[in-house]
Amino acid sequence: MLTRAQLLEPLAAVRTDEVVVTTMSITRPWGRLSSHDLDFASADSAMGHAADLALGIALARPDRMVVYLNGDGSMLMTLGTLATAVGSGVTNYLLVVVENGSYEITGHQPIPGHGSLDFAALARGAGFPHVFRFDEPGVWARALPDLLRTPGPTFVQAVVEPTSEGPISRRPTEQSRYLQVSLADWARVFRKALGADPQRPA
Amino acid sequence: MTSRTQAVVTTLADAGVTHVVGVPDNTSAPLFDALSRDTVPRLVVTTREGEAFALASGLWLGGASPFVLVQNTGFLESGDGLRGTATRMGAALPFIVTARGYAKMLALGLGPDTPRTPELLTRPDVDSVALMTEPTLKAWGIPYRICAADGDPVAAIARVLEVARALQHPSALLLLAELA
Repeated sequence: MLTRAQLLEPLAAVRTDEVVVTTMSITRPWGRLSSHDLDFASADSAMGHAADLALGIALARPDRMVVYLNGDGSMLMTLGTLATAVGSGVTNYLLVVVENGSYEITGHQPIPGHGSLDFAALARGAGFPHVFRFDEPGVWARALPDLLRTPGPTFVQAVVEPTSEGPISRRPTEQSRYLQVSLADWARVFRKALGADPQRPA
Repeated sequence: MTSRTQAVVTTLADAGVTHVVGVPDNTSAPLFDALSRDTVPRLVVTTREGEAFALASGLWLGGASPFVLVQNTGFLESGDGLRGTATRMGAALPFIVTARGYAKMLALGLGPDTPRTPELLTRPDVDSVALMTEPTLKAWGIPYRICAADGDPVAAIARVLEVARALQHPSALLLLAELA
């Protein structure tokens, strides 16, 4: 089992110009490690749909690897995304399910099926060509550089220890830079960093 | 492909739409069929409508110009996917909602302002999704226009593209006309 730091610090160490999208209980820990303009916190609650949002970024920008750090509860809300991702033909999408077995930010209520649910098997069944399960920190850290380079889509089930992240907010006192402004303001920062003209919608 | 379907595809392409995202129904099927053959705009079929709005929001974030195409039944399930992404981000996201049940609703002399009583909503001759579509659009703060059954969907699509881009906000076309 990985700690949150053992999961995120190797990614922060090797990340260059990849897009990193976060949601729920991974949002603050990643924001404490990274303040890159290509970080995006889908933290305004969309009932699991951040996986779709990250897939959309990847389809818009096939020149960039998009790493999405999903929650296990969030993944369960949008399992259809696994089929959509494969069907879309996306190759620059690394979907990491951070499996702690619970809805962490609401107080660790167990997710449905915890203990019997096999996320990696779901991804294989959906047709992901590359599927991995990591529960040992050294193996994850060594594999990560190749995962960022290998054409996908790639699915990672990362088994992590629960922590105690509370509900996400957006306010200037948040430590994470991408939570200090509104989602609309950060979308402008992000689009500018990607070279999408902020003055033009398309 | 009919001339009308071709005109819709051309309108989308000429307006710079890069991706059409959605779930097909009987009204939109001709457009899905046409787009599955064309490369621009690119078609992305999703499993649910909320997924379509969130995926399209990601496309917009990445600098693409998406267009969403869903039926009103699925639109009703897409609320937080739309609210938590495109609406909160201020994304210029035009979309079509096809209008299941509208012909029956109008034929019965009913409309979106008819009080939605338990008796009405359980009547077998009423398709309740039609009664709820416009109130839902209003409740979610989505500006919308209606293209009537005898209207011109090509012109209406061009207009909804303009509105979404001008407002930097999701904007809907409630489509009663056929696309074929």
